[in-house]
Amino acid sequence: MTNLKTKLPPSNHQFADIVHRLEAGGSMLPDTPENLMQIIGIYKAYAVPMDFYWRDLLYIAERIFLKPLPFFKYFLPQKYLDLPNHYAGETADLRIWRGEATAHPELLTFMEKGETSNLPKLAHHLLHDRINMEFAEACMRAMLWHGRDMGMGKFDAYLDTDEYRTNADQAIKAFFKKNPLMMGLYKLFPDMFVEQVRQLSYYSNLGLFWEVMAPVFFEMSDLYDEGKMTTVKEAMDFLVNGIFAIAGRPIYHHVYVDEECYEIIPKSKGFTWLYEAALPYVEAVFYRTSPFRGTKSYNAQAKQVPQQQQDFHYGILYADVFPVGSAGIPPTLLMNDMLHFLPPYLLEYYQQHCRGEDD
Amino acid sequence: MADIVDIAVSNDDFNTLVAAVQAANLVDVLKSKGPFTVFAPTDEAFAKLPEGTITTLLQNIPQLARILTYHVVSGKLMKADLEKVDSVISVEGSPISIDCSDAFEVKNATVVAADIEADNGVIHVIDNVILMG
Repeated sequence: MTNLKTKLPPSNHQFADIVHRLEAGGSMLPDTPENLMQIIGIYKAYAVPMDFYWRDLLYIAERIFLKPLPFFKYFLPQKYLDLPNHYAGETADLRIWRGEATAHPELLTFMEKGETSNLPKLAHHLLHDRINMEFAEACMRAMLWHGRDMGMGKFDAYLDTDEYRTNADQAIKAFFKKNPLMMGLYKLFPDMFVEQVRQLSYYSNLGLFWEVMAPVFFEMSDLYDEGKMTTVKEAMDFLVNGIFAIAGRPIYHHVYVDEECYEIIPKSKGFTWLYEAALPYVEAVFYRTSPFRGTKSYNAQAKQVPQQQQDFHYGILYADVFPVGSAGIPPTLLMNDMLHFLPPYLLEYYQQHCRGEDD
Repeated sequence: MADIVDIAVSNDDFNTLVAAVQAANLVDVLKSKGPFTVFAPTDEAFAKLPEGTITTLLQNIPQLARILTYHVVSGKLMKADLEKVDSVISVEGSPISIDCSDAFEVKNATVVAADIEADNGVIHVIDNVILMG
């Protein structure tokens, strides 16, 4: 008989419980009703501004395009507020959320009233009493900037092909056909304009990414409110299944000039939601982003900023969630947006815990 | 001998795969001279995908074609050939990792029937749809 040696002695590592849970296929957070409530509540509060982000990102990519002075790019026209989400409502390609395909009612209410009152749109904008689109743009810029080596996606490499350049050229010429000044500038500095179009392609990319996430979070919140989602595992399974179900949704960039569509990145390129948007998003936004120019600044000469872009770790996972300024994408902008849409149970919870109203 | 498509059509385990290949207009390619190595997921493998996955892919043919071409490698590679390598490059362009150290594993799938020879290549039957990355 072979003498079986004992396995490793029981671990006394301080995080042994967590490691064992993860190894057993469990979730990162312990499965408690309190944790589930916080997960669902936060997703819900995130999904409402996200409903604005994706609509406005597509609006900028498709309609604002290269407008030289885009003062009103955050002023969503009714057409984009009504733009049917492909994954909600009765016209959906695949109905993930049972709600409506148009902008979320809570978003519309907030856009009208804000924190102040029924002021004109411009006043809301200037007082910053609005959705912080700057946050969405910071995420987009992180994706553009880190670009090439994000996972297995082929999106960024396509932006450097002749085919892309030709497509962009056609759209630029159509866009500026009545604007000789801009057309002249384009002739002088073509690369600058094409680079701007690349950035706009990332607007489209991120917009199409979030168009999917918002209905997934809304449906999770509804299921929770109906008492049909009761464990963290159920929540995570729903999320993962939702992500897989639409993994193959096309990522593209269309531009509309006088209602004529220019396909800068056609759907026929075969770019997919999972590979060309979701994975690059996670890598660029969760892990990397850029040194945050907030109240804390970094000195690159003193090597406080890594020399290699791959070594950046300023993502949201490393961000300081307290508004004292730290690494990461502007977390306070997002938190400010989410604050407006916290579900009542989470508001109550926050008032009883930590620093109450001060947090 | 029959070609890759004929073999798949004549087998009851590949109804979903055949329907997907037809939808993606890849029949002619897989009937061509090749040769190709195809990692063919069974109907059961497709059924494991979350609800809605197939629907989304059938609505978006270029994306479906990309996932399918990830299951195809240029050249006729038998199990004995694949045992010698760590990965092969798919027709889609991304690498497929191969691990024959224990069972015959291809990415996140296990080969349940290897070396089914066809006129224009070889089929290895797998128990999961494989995904890039």
